[in-house]
Amino acid sequence: MLLHGADHKKRDILFFSLPYLTVYVAFMVFPVVYGFYLSFFDWNILSTKVFVGLKNYVEAFSDPEFLSSFFHTIQFVVISTPLIIVVGFIMALIAVRPTKTGRISETVFFLPYMLSTSVVGTLWAWIFQKNYGLANQLLKSVGLSPLGWLTDPSIAMTSIIIATLWWTAGFNMILFSAGMKQIPEEIYDAAKIDGAGSFTTLTKITIPLLRDTSLLVLVLQIIASFKVFGQVYVMTGGGPYGTTRVLVQYVYKTGFSYFRLGYASAMSILLFMVILLVSVIQFLRKPDETQ
Amino acid sequence: MKKPFDILGKLFIVFLIVLWLAPLIWLVITSLKSENTVMSDTLSLVFTPTLENYRKAFASTLLGRWMLNSLTVAVVTTILTVLIDSAMAYVLARIPFRGRKALFIFILAGMMIPFEVLIIQLYLEFTTLGLANTLAAVILPRLALPIGVFILTQFFRSIPLVLEEAAFIDGASRFTVFRTIILPLSKSAVFAVAIIAFINAWNDFLWPLVAISSSEKYTITVGIANFQGTHGTEYSLIMAGALLASVPQIIMYLLFRKNIVKSIAMTGIKE
Repeated sequence: MLLHGADHKKRDILFFSLPYLTVYVAFMVFPVVYGFYLSFFDWNILSTKVFVGLKNYVEAFSDPEFLSSFFHTIQFVVISTPLIIVVGFIMALIAVRPTKTGRISETVFFLPYMLSTSVVGTLWAWIFQKNYGLANQLLKSVGLSPLGWLTDPSIAMTSIIIATLWWTAGFNMILFSAGMKQIPEEIYDAAKIDGAGSFTTLTKITIPLLRDTSLLVLVLQIIASFKVFGQVYVMTGGGPYGTTRVLVQYVYKTGFSYFRLGYASAMSILLFMVILLVSVIQFLRKPDETQ
Repeated sequence: MKKPFDILGKLFIVFLIVLWLAPLIWLVITSLKSENTVMSDTLSLVFTPTLENYRKAFASTLLGRWMLNSLTVAVVTTILTVLIDSAMAYVLARIPFRGRKALFIFILAGMMIPFEVLIIQLYLEFTTLGLANTLAAVILPRLALPIGVFILTQFFRSIPLVLEEAAFIDGASRFTVFRTIILPLSKSAVFAVAIIAFINAWNDFLWPLVAISSSEKYTITVGIANFQGTHGTEYSLIMAGALLASVPQIIMYLLFRKNIVKSIAMTGIKE
């Protein structure tokens, strides 16, 4: 069949897909495979690779620095996830309305998400600065004693979570309000006729009908939280006393400060497994009955 | 008559908006204060604004250079991503062959690979390639954007076949059809992918931090992160730098807010 240039089909497939497949395989697929491979070796860039089997994985689970980094990451995930989702949901309720307030809110709430991690980290490091930062200045002005936002081990992680909340809640707002816009107006009209108040409408219509969106938001948020790095690196550098050091940062440190590449790869793979597990949840959900 | 609940709700909305704007206002104010005012009169809103920090940021730091680097990285990444990803999507949407479905799944699986777990391997790879500490190293791993291929494939599939068939009958090649029919009809999807690619590239932090070692090759994100180390307590200078580093995104946001929001909603991608 000449219609689709069948004579050049093979050539065309190669021509169109080769550039993508080259970068995809070289810089995404290969590194995954290579990471698996490296994780079975003991190797600091100067020495020769020595095959050690599962030793790196075993070591991770008895390495206090790995365990504490893992714990801090979990801590970050568990606290930040519900917070960022709930705030994003409330924002969506405000922003979804087709009023001027709605538009202004959406613009303002999403704006921080446009900024890069390092700008956000730098800004909040300044806000939480001990002597001159906004947070402590405000505390002092109402007669309270200043806090060591980034220097007190018991609150440094909270400060990072506050910065992250400000930065990323707008992202969840967008997903939620996209979901809300798909709920047919008639359902709300019918509820109104039946005399349902706004709270009933929220709990009986909006929230149940956003089930799929909520699951997507939840999965994306957990994954993003597991990958936390930039704001921690900039705001605290993992301190004070390693109390905010997270997994990605420990991988970075093991790889590029200790040059233990096999061990760092093994930890990367462990993080990958966790993230993969979370992604899979999304595919296991019950298929939507309406489809 | 307004119910008290409405007024309370309005107050809450205003409060939330102010709360979200406050850090940014604080950023702008700090950047306009002199170094001394920042320390002596931190909270005061009455002060003589100065552009000295901005002048200094360009004159005595590498900020201008870093912004140029980031702009290069972001623009090149965006153009190449759109070209490479849309070509791939064209195959997946329009050229039927055995194994195409498997290829599609193979590509979509890439969405599950978090970039953060690849840094060690990528670093070793780029060192071997002799590309460590180059902007090319920052660009290359970002070009395969599986979500971009997904968006484009879906969009291409929605274009009616009639136009292409007419062109093929006239003897057009696939390349011509792709360039003169498919791409022009897909402006909105291409634009969405371009926005995602640009924002990703401009905001990328961990990978450039690993890949680049000399300060004149830093991207702006890495440069700003290092500001604190090198300019410790010069907060107004640091804030001026942070603001300058955000100018391209803020301009983009003001110009394309609706498109940006739409592409985020469409993809649900998250860095």
